[in-house]
Parts: sequence; C-alpha cells; structure tokens
Amino acid sequence: MSENIEIKIRDLSKHYGSKKALDHVNLNIRQGMFGLLGPNGAGKTTLMKIMTTLTKKSGGEVTVCEIPVEECRKVREITGYLPQDFSMYGNMSAYEALDYLAVLSGMGKRERREKVPKMLEKVNLKEQQKTKVKAMSGGMRRRLGIAQALIHNPKVVVVDEPTAGLDPEERVRFRNLLCEIAKERIVILSTHIVGDIEATCEEIAVLNEGKILFRGTINELLQMVEGKVYTAEISTMEVSKVQKKFLVTGILTTGNITRIKIISQMQPMEQAQLCPPDVEDAYMYLMKYKEYGEV
Amino acid sequence: MFGALFGKECKQILKSLVYYFYILVLALFLSTQLKNPDWIEEIEGPKPNQEHYGMKETHDKNVIMGHTLASLTEEIGRESFSTYPYGFYKGVAPTKDELATMKKIIESCTGKSWDRILEEQEKYYEQFDMTDMSSSIMASENYQVKPREDLTYADFQKNMERVTKIIGKGSYYEKESYESGATVPMSYEEALKEYETMRKHDRVTGAYMRLFCDYAGIMLAFLPMFLGVTRCLRDQRAVAMQVIHAKSVSSAKIILSRYLANVFMAFLPVVLIGFILQLPYCYYAHTLGFQPDYFAFLTYPIVWLLPEIMVVMSLAFLITEMTDKIFVVFIQIFWMLAEEFTTVSLAGHFGMRLALRWNTIGATQDYLAQRQDLYWNRSIYTVIAVLLIAFCVVIYEKKRKEGESLYAKIFKNRH
Repeated sequence: MSENIEIKIRDLSKHYGSKKALDHVNLNIRQGMFGLLGPNGAGKTTLMKIMTTLTKKSGGEVTVCEIPVEECRKVREITGYLPQDFSMYGNMSAYEALDYLAVLSGMGKRERREKVPKMLEKVNLKEQQKTKVKAMSGGMRRRLGIAQALIHNPKVVVVDEPTAGLDPEERVRFRNLLCEIAKERIVILSTHIVGDIEATCEEIAVLNEGKILFRGTINELLQMVEGKVYTAEISTMEVSKVQKKFLVTGILTTGNITRIKIISQMQPMEQAQLCPPDVEDAYMYLMKYKEYGEV
Repeated sequence: MFGALFGKECKQILKSLVYYFYILVLALFLSTQLKNPDWIEEIEGPKPNQEHYGMKETHDKNVIMGHTLASLTEEIGRESFSTYPYGFYKGVAPTKDELATMKKIIESCTGKSWDRILEEQEKYYEQFDMTDMSSSIMASENYQVKPREDLTYADFQKNMERVTKIIGKGSYYEKESYESGATVPMSYEEALKEYETMRKHDRVTGAYMRLFCDYAGIMLAFLPMFLGVTRCLRDQRAVAMQVIHAKSVSSAKIILSRYLANVFMAFLPVVLIGFILQLPYCYYAHTLGFQPDYFAFLTYPIVWLLPEIMVVMSLAFLITEMTDKIFVVFIQIFWMLAEEFTTVSLAGHFGMRLALRWNTIGATQDYLAQRQDLYWNRSIYTVIAVLLIAFCVVIYEKKRKEGESLYAKIFKNRH
C-alpha cells in the first residue's frame, strides 16, 4: 500500500447556521500517524466527519488519496472510521457485529470468514468473540471499533477520541495498536489528551475555534516554547496570585511549598529556572497566547 | 452482499421483542375473531323451504329508495342521526324545525302523512319477535318505506341532498352510502346458485380465506408499522449510526435489505396463522365432497394482505428515516381509525381502502363481480409502497451525507 496516500484540504469551511465550525482550514496529511489536537468544540470531529463523508462541507476542497469527498462511495471504500461514541447492536456478539460491518464494507462471505477471526485476534478479542456488545467493557468496545475500521484494509483510518474513558493500561494498548497500523496507511488521531499525541504522532495540527493554530512536527511544536518554560518553588499561599499573573501549566503541592511550572516570555521570578518543555506546555502556550495574538 | 444483509436482518428480527409482540397480538386477534368450524352449516348448501337464505346486495333503485327512506324514518323517530365526518363518529340532534323539514321530505317522497308512515312501521314490526336477536336483525334489514310510484330517482337524490345539508357530512344519506347499503333476501334458487359458485370457485377454503383477510387486514393496517419504526430507530439507539453511514455499502442496499426483511418477517406469521386456521376447513370440505383449494392460505394473503404490509412498512420507514422520531405511529393510527369510521360496507366496495373488508363467508358472486376493483386497489398500493421506499432511499442517502435528518435540519436550534 505504497501508492500516493495523502489527504489534501484546501480552504475548508463548515458553517452550522451562523456558527463557523471550520474556518478556511488548509492541511496536507501524509502516510503515518497524524494527530489532531484541540479543545472541545474546536472543530476536530467536524473535520473528520467531512473527511469520512458524514457531513457536507460549506466551502473549499478535500481530497482523500486524490478522490474528492463528493465521491462518497469511493472515499468510504478506502477509509475506516471509529467515531467517538462507537457502539453496535447490543444483542450481537463481537463476531456477529464485526461480520455485519464487514458485509457493509463490501466483503464477500469467503473473505469475511477468513478476515473476521484474524481481525478479532489482532485486537485481542478472540476470546470474547461470543460476548454480546452490551456486555462489553469500554476498552473492548473500542477494540471492536478499531477492528471494524480496519477490516476492509482501508488506506485511511480516522479515529475520534479513541482513548477517552479508558484506563491507562487500555490506553497504552490502544496507542500501540494504532502505531502498528499506521505503518502503511494514514491514521488520523483526534484527541484532547495531549499524552496520546506525544506518544504516537509524528506530525500534528492544533485546532481551535475552527482555525489551525499550528501545523508541523512535535519537535517544531516544542521549539515554539523552547526557552519559555520555567519551574519555581513558591509558597502555597502565593499560588493563586501567580496563576493570575502567568500561564501556569503544572502545580505540585507538598505542604507549604508548591512547585509550579510557568510559561512566560521572560523569567517570571527570581527563583524560576528554565526547564525542557513538553507537548502539553506547547499546547497551553498556543491556546493562551494565540488568543491574544502573541505567538 | 444483498442476500447476506437480508439474512442478517431476518436473524436480528427474530431476536426482537417487538416482533414477538406483533405475532402475539396478530395471533390472538385472529384466533378470537375468526369463527370456529361451527360455520360449517353455511357451506353445507341451502335446503328448500328454509326460513331465510341470507341477503344479497342490490342496485335496484326502488329497493335503495325504500331502504334509505326507512333509515331516515327511524332516525327522525329517534331525533338523532349518526354521522362520520372525517372518519370520527358525530351524533347530530336536529332542531324541531329541521326535524319538521325532514318529515315533510319523507311525506313528499312517499305520498303519505308522517303519522300514517309511523302506523305502518308499527304494524310491520308487530310481525316479528323483537326480543329475539336474529328476528329483530332480520326485521331491521328488511324494513322498507315504499316511495310513491311516480317518484323519480333524480327527485329522490335531490331530497337526500337536502337531508345531507341539514345533518351535515358523513351521514347515510350521501349518495355513496345509500347506494352501497341496500340488501334484499335471497331466494332458494339464488342461494343455490351462490353455493354452486362458491363450491366451484372458492372450494370452501377460498371463502374462508377472504374472511381471514378481512380480519387480518384490520390489524395489518397498523401493526407492521411498529416493526418498521423499531428497525429505523435501532441505529440511533445503538449509537451505531455513524459507523454504518461511513461504510461503502449503498443506501439502497441498506434500506431495501431492511425493508424487505421486515416485510417478509411480517408476512410470514400471517401465512402460518392462515395455514393453521384453514386446516379445519380443508377437512370439512372433504367431508362435504369438496376438493378444497389447499393454497388459498397463500394466494389470498399475497394478493390481499402483502401490499397492505408493504405500504404500511414503507410509510413507517420513510417517516421515521425522515424524522428519527415516532410520528408515523400517530399518522398510521389516524389513517386506520379514519378508514374504520368511514366504512361504507363490510363486504366489498373496496375503492382506495387500505384494509379491504369482506366480513362474510361466501358471497362468491359478489366477490367475483368486485374482484377487478380489488386487483386495482392492491396494484395501486403496491406501486405506492415501491415509490415510498424509493423516496426513503433518497432521504437516507441525504441523511448519510449531511449527518442529520430532515426533521433535525428544520427544527434544530443552531447557535
């Protein structure tokens, strides 16, 4: 699967009445893991729904592997989608649900007989193939969800908030699975959990209020806040004062002393020391200072 | 792929509680309403010198006028009229002046005074034992108020229009009602001819299946709707809508596989119940020396009931996919009730009714005379069903691309 796998988004806009969900978005997404980061209501889900032909765009152009999204059927053949709220008919078993969705993906009987058990094994649901969907845990459902997104071997996989609500162990397992499948395809991971992006994505885009605030690699994102992240120890009673004055991204209180992490253009206080930034710092910086137009 | 989808849909329906509720209601209703084989004397054939050979419909204008004037006389006497405007019962109590006007209409049509008509009515009913139900029914069915000899049908119609203006819409005195409700007793020869026609054409089981279809049609005018609504709302309730919409299968395959599976599964119990209820009649036909029509349990429901199931189901699919709500339940129940309350005849006069009535066993000659109307009616409903489901496919495809139903598009409160 090494032919031209790319998603091109040009001047994409989407309005819901007077509200702009997406505002002249431009993006190129290539093979590998791509992270879409942003707060709730940023437009991530809208963007993904447009890419997977579940919503019509108001303006602009979107092509998925050189196919315009207007050609719904062709795009659906090469995309797999795991929505944020994924479930299936409760009285179906894992096998039945995956088999049903495989039929909807255009797979024949022989192909399904071969691939469905393999896919269940890949997502570690082989032992639970007879478990009804209504009896599954959240993690099991997500794994079933990724299985149905992959069953027809799509070139593009779009996953929306896949680890929300999962325990840490499930979250790590899921991220590893996504990394594995991203080797030969585009995997777009949308999340507001920075840790997911940090652990898995080569390139990311940060979205807020329908606009792209940042587009590039993780390293480029970190460079934005290089030399701007400080840690300091202050009295616990001063914390609220400091929070009002600076962008605080971390607070760790031990008795009367609080260790805080601050993002600031200049050294915020005498005892503050520079420290290496992480993605969360960069994200918070983008959200805060873009708001005031200061990047 | 379509076969696989159809099969999976049928399997899912078999796991549905709503489906078993549908079967239970249908089976209970039919088994309680359809008479047991005690009706066997009706198919044994008429014998000479019987008191009563049943009634037959007539288009004799004199009989129509006689029956209509009789009905008018009785309702004037009660000072209350039954009407069914827009499908619902409405009792009308005319004023004294209006009653006086209608009495004058009767006097004008009969050439007799109102008091004289009442005397004749009393004398007529004295011949019958009104405490006996069958006797009182026969008395009522046969009662006529004879029109004067020189009354033309056109004059009679004009007078009935005047009555309708006084009482209002939906009364018996509208042309379509009084022209279809007139019956006269059959003679022995007529009853014998009817019996021979039934023997040759219906072979007992055919006559029975028409009655079966009459009762089944009442329930099938709305019951299948519940299956359709349940299926269409299932994706939403299971939070599976987006993942299904994102698949490459065409909207036509999704909707048609669901629709045909539901129609098939709704029809299957009808045929099974029909088969079971028909069995005693096959046996009795043999005892009378008849060769029954063994496949009547299949042929009659296919022609009579399947189009009804199809159109109810397709309407349920269309409205539910359009709105993602259960509005069709109210629409369908209203349609069904409106039909019931505007029933002109319980045997035939099909018109454009959804549930075709034939609440009698036999009346084969009448049926054969109206069979073409039945075929037209069912053909039109089949076409309507196909058009509705085709439109549903269009609506579903639009919903898939735009991410919301038509109802949500119109009524959603956007910021």
